[in-house]
Amino acid sequence: MTTFRMNPAYRRYLRRMLPLSLLYVGAIALAVRLIPDHAPADARTIGLALLPGLAVVGWVWAMGRLLVELEDEYLRMLEIRKFLVATAFTLAVCSVWGLLELFAPTVPKLALFFVFPLWALGLFVGMLFNRLTMGAHCPA
Amino acid sequence: MKNHLKDLRARRGWSQQDLAERLEVSRQSVNAIETGRYDPSLPLAFRIAEIFGMRIEDIFQKG
Repeated sequence: MTTFRMNPAYRRYLRRMLPLSLLYVGAIALAVRLIPDHAPADARTIGLALLPGLAVVGWVWAMGRLLVELEDEYLRMLEIRKFLVATAFTLAVCSVWGLLELFAPTVPKLALFFVFPLWALGLFVGMLFNRLTMGAHCPA
Repeated sequence: MKNHLKDLRARRGWSQQDLAERLEVSRQSVNAIETGRYDPSLPLAFRIAEIFGMRIEDIFQKG
């Protein structure tokens, strides 16, 4: 029987991402519950609105640590390629949509909130890119 | 780069996992190097050469 052993760097990454994601969901729920519509931008509102941002900063830190701690150079290269594809994807979508907003003001506004989810979607595109260009044995 | 890592490994009766453990890398890394999809860094190439008791240029050739 084949046993799957996860690289320790990936294990640490998941151990960091899981509580950060719970913090994110909890902080979003708290902000939705406690901040009324059209609330003034006072200290309380700003504090509550920034709380999920702490988790987002944590995600960025955890991804950076993954690249630092991943000692297997091939796996690290695959991750870096995914990050680069995700960055290119996000830059392209945001810039093209930004031009649309500029010259066709009736299109819906893309909130900055969506930049990170877009980048995460870009990671999926990067994974497909790795599969297509590096073959079926590619783990990432 | 071309290499004959697969032949060298097979001659010793090692699986990709065996070689990966000796090199302290993933099996996927060994597979990617063997199939020419990934060229190893100089330090990893030195480790590979050391394990097989050969020179780097005897394992990897320009291709």
